[in-house]
Amino acid sequence: MFDQYLIRKDSLHNVVEDGKVTGFKFAVRIADYRGCFLSLHNGYYINCDGVEYPKDLQRFEINGKPPRTFDEIKTCVWEHWNYDDEGWVYVTKEGGLAPGKHVIGLQQSILAQYGYMPWDEEWVKNPPVPGSGAGSGKTAVICQFELELQND
Amino acid sequence: MAIKRGVSLYSYQQAQFFKQMDWKAMIREVREHLGTDGIEIIDEATIRDYPFPSEQFIYDFREYMARYNMKAVTMDIYMDVHQFRDHVMNIQEVAERLKNDIRLAAKLGFANVRPLCAVPIEAIELALPTAEKYNVRMGKEIHAPMPIKPRKYNEENRGMRRTMDFRMAEQILELADRTGSKHVGLVPDFGIFQHSPSQVAIDYAKRHAKKPEAVDFIRENCTSYTKDEMVRVVNEKYPDSGLTEMTVEQMWLHRSCAEPEDLIDIIPYIVSMHGKFYQMTEIPGKPGQYEDKSIDYENPIRILRENGFDGYIDSEYEGQRSQQDMGYENLPNEIEEVRRHHEMLKRLSGEA
Repeated sequence: MFDQYLIRKDSLHNVVEDGKVTGFKFAVRIADYRGCFLSLHNGYYINCDGVEYPKDLQRFEINGKPPRTFDEIKTCVWEHWNYDDEGWVYVTKEGGLAPGKHVIGLQQSILAQYGYMPWDEEWVKNPPVPGSGAGSGKTAVICQFELELQND
Repeated sequence: MAIKRGVSLYSYQQAQFFKQMDWKAMIREVREHLGTDGIEIIDEATIRDYPFPSEQFIYDFREYMARYNMKAVTMDIYMDVHQFRDHVMNIQEVAERLKNDIRLAAKLGFANVRPLCAVPIEAIELALPTAEKYNVRMGKEIHAPMPIKPRKYNEENRGMRRTMDFRMAEQILELADRTGSKHVGLVPDFGIFQHSPSQVAIDYAKRHAKKPEAVDFIRENCTSYTKDEMVRVVNEKYPDSGLTEMTVEQMWLHRSCAEPEDLIDIIPYIVSMHGKFYQMTEIPGKPGQYEDKSIDYENPIRILRENGFDGYIDSEYEGQRSQQDMGYENLPNEIEEVRRHHEMLKRLSGEA
């Protein structure tokens, strides 16, 4: 769902922290028709210009709080990502992205379910790695976006 | 008494996503253009800051519903067993979420909640005293591929959802009869009368298949193979088709998982119904009259009428998600789809 609309087209920016460009960020929506308990958000498969950026290089900003790692997000068992709200995905990449167009492949992982499933115990021990389709919620394909880096 | 019409605000999920409509605009559409009063919501889509909405939100919702003389029919609730991430929720925890949702539904003025079809019957029973206390009925959803009454062919349509119990309707009737409670029942979804994949789902599958002709093959040969055989045959014939097992299963569909006649025995237990649909197209030769070509509405509604059903059918439009891989100009108009659905509901239920 919302395949073409999961990333806002004009939201790709470099991230500057303490005067240094530490990576890039873009704005996302939830790939579902409902929000979720934030703890269920399990990161992204991100491929930017042919390079994959795994979950430990990602942070997520939502609910007016500073960007958090997905290890922190996992503990937010009573916080909610509202369906209406945009979140920001931060990706660590020293020097950030060059000006111009970039191609991003994205799959969102939300461990929302409608009941017990055979893999439940396994997912507690080893949550799915985003990208395989497991735990990808309502949009199982990897969606492709061509985005122009915005000037700050 | 007659069948009543309502809308699940789920139908307008795309308009909400793009901030074209908020829940207030949706309520006005149902009142002013559809001329009816039934409202169903998805808790985690409509309720700001679920599960702890502000008192202001609750007041605002009740006030707005009252202003337009609306009826809060059913609130759809969920069961995410991984919420705590360090363990899988046990049955008691599942029941606690259910009880919280019942209390929240009562605060918002809803008559019913709809637990999903995979919620274990033990959790429903644990929450029953809470449902009684707050006078909110629990209607467990009968969602495809669940039947009303299991038959042999249901087994082969079990597909990806192997953890579900096909006797769910029977279990609910048993619980209601044993306890004598009016607060537990069923929410049948018209998707159980879907007999073929919708055109929008076929088109989506083809756009994303590496071998679109594999989809045509499945449609042309769906009656010749069981689902498992079809998965195998497609893998052999089109080894790089790019179709998942789930997609093969969807495209293989050629008979509904439930029989319309099976509604008769469960009518006293129906809390409300989901009017699932994917695409309303004009009936050839009947201008202004619409149908969903993939779902039988005519026979189930005839049976509901003949047997005195007077509850709500709430429209649940779901075709939008199969078109959102395309640009804005190709996105469907949810408002128009629901208006067409209500043309059909009115006509078939004898209201028009």
